[in-house]
Amino acid sequence: MTELLQYEFMRRALLAAVLVGLVTPIIGTFLVQRRLALLGDGIGHIALTGVALGLLTSTSPVLTAAVVATLGAILMELVRVRTRTSGDVALALLFYGGIAGGVLLIGITPGASNATLTSFLFGSVSTVGEQDIWIVGVLAVGVVAVLAVFGRELFVLCQDEEVARAHGLPVRFLSILLAVTAALTVVIAMRVVGVLMVSALMIVPVAAAQQLSRSFRVTMGLAVLIGLVSSLGGLTTAFYSDLAPGATIVLLALAVFCLAVLLGGVLRRVTKRRTPAPQHPVAGGPADTMPQTDRGRVTP
Amino acid sequence: MSAQFTEDGAPGPDTPPAFQAVDAHAAYDGVTVLDGVSLDVPVGQTMAVLGPNGSGKSTLMRAMLGVVPLTSGRILLHGTPLRRFRDWKRIGYVPQRLTAGGAVPATVREIVASGQVARRRRLSLPTRADRAAVDEALAAVDLSDRAGDAVRELSGGQQQRVLIARALAGRPDTFVMDEPMAGVDAKNQRALARAIARLRDQGSTVVLVLHELGPLEEVIERAVVLEHGRVVHDGPAPAATGECARPGHEHQHPHPDPNDPDPSSTHGAAPAEMVRLEVPRRD
Repeated sequence: MTELLQYEFMRRALLAAVLVGLVTPIIGTFLVQRRLALLGDGIGHIALTGVALGLLTSTSPVLTAAVVATLGAILMELVRVRTRTSGDVALALLFYGGIAGGVLLIGITPGASNATLTSFLFGSVSTVGEQDIWIVGVLAVGVVAVLAVFGRELFVLCQDEEVARAHGLPVRFLSILLAVTAALTVVIAMRVVGVLMVSALMIVPVAAAQQLSRSFRVTMGLAVLIGLVSSLGGLTTAFYSDLAPGATIVLLALAVFCLAVLLGGVLRRVTKRRTPAPQHPVAGGPADTMPQTDRGRVTP
Repeated sequence: MSAQFTEDGAPGPDTPPAFQAVDAHAAYDGVTVLDGVSLDVPVGQTMAVLGPNGSGKSTLMRAMLGVVPLTSGRILLHGTPLRRFRDWKRIGYVPQRLTAGGAVPATVREIVASGQVARRRRLSLPTRADRAAVDEALAAVDLSDRAGDAVRELSGGQQQRVLIARALAGRPDTFVMDEPMAGVDAKNQRALARAIARLRDQGSTVVLVLHELGPLEEVIERAVVLEHGRVVHDGPAPAATGECARPGHEHQHPHPDPNDPDPSSTHGAAPAEMVRLEVPRRD
């Protein structure tokens, strides 16, 4: 482990991995709750255009990516609300526009190559610079602060938008706030796992955690733990085995997910044996009031 | 409590109505759903909104809370136009069901506590009073022992009670409940009726969308019947006509609970005693 810390670039990489492992599952829990699991993917695509703009204009790619991703997130939220019926198609248009714009701009940037493109698509945590760490650190603090201040309102919003309105909550503001926070998180995670896998760190730890939990808070805490274990473990493994760090991190998170599914199945079987069956099955009640028990089990 | 109340808790002569709809129109995708509804609900009244499917009952409820925008007309909450209304901690809303949104597990207690969102300050930890209000709300719907369970592990009727507890947890004095009895078995319906009677006794305003009065018959002071987005009856609860055997009857009243020792207390025993609204289906 000490060998790992000898290198300046590795110390920065580990710090970036900690920030990513900590922040992405928190925002991911809200996105999964709101059934917007793929929002991070879409923002990741758009962020690539921002990266390319930064390279082209010789400014920090992380900074331009943050600006473009934020604008993209606001646009996506507006598209989602305005065009109810074809929302997913409109979002898809934005995704592809983002990635095509990024590829095109990197292509015309002098000095940028396919290697530059690949490093942003799939992550290049070992090339994280001093300035990047500062930007990522500030963004991480910002994301956590937003969620600390607005967490309760966001929980109600993600649980049931209609109830949020009936509580007088500023639904549109909160929706945009969540999308922008997600965009900034994407930018934080981009350097570590790349824009194509950024969403995995938001979603996979949450998917794993909810196999083992019955509470929102516990799910979020577990997801952060799994995120940290995956990002630090993945980075260390990649260092010693000379593997691609981004891919190793994501595969490790997926392995934890598989483990959680198995463990969750065992846990549920044990608790089921202890508690009696529900007392009042609703006879002839409307289907939409039936319990939502389907958690996506894998056992036959 | 609001300053508008007199010392004994009763509304004073100057107290504005809890809800006021003035010539309210609303439409979904160009189809008129509310067609000029005017309605005052005085503070402290327990009122049922009845009518067939598609008559605009739920839309009226949602419009009264600003969930659905009006195309024309006005809504006032406690005398304040909806747009300027800020006293949301006075309002408790029970939606028709636990919407499928929310893919992350949440415990009963977490959901119930979220009903305090309008009255809690940002960045504040729950006070002892907040926690007590959640405990009371859980007890009022008889779910104290399920507080730590995941909501989605509960039956439909229990989830409905979770939603009612969520509305109670914010300690509001004005309630809007959209079909709180749907999918709830007879025993739980009677428990809910008692909870609503308690709210009325505390001086709360309660507006309920109902398909039929059922066990709430004694609690309801006034019934408004909507049809095609218009008020066609406003006054005492309408007398029952028809019976559940009618082909057009919306079959939603409770069936005898298999665990209920006294099945005669529900459907079938004394049809003359049960006020049941005739509900012709139009769709």
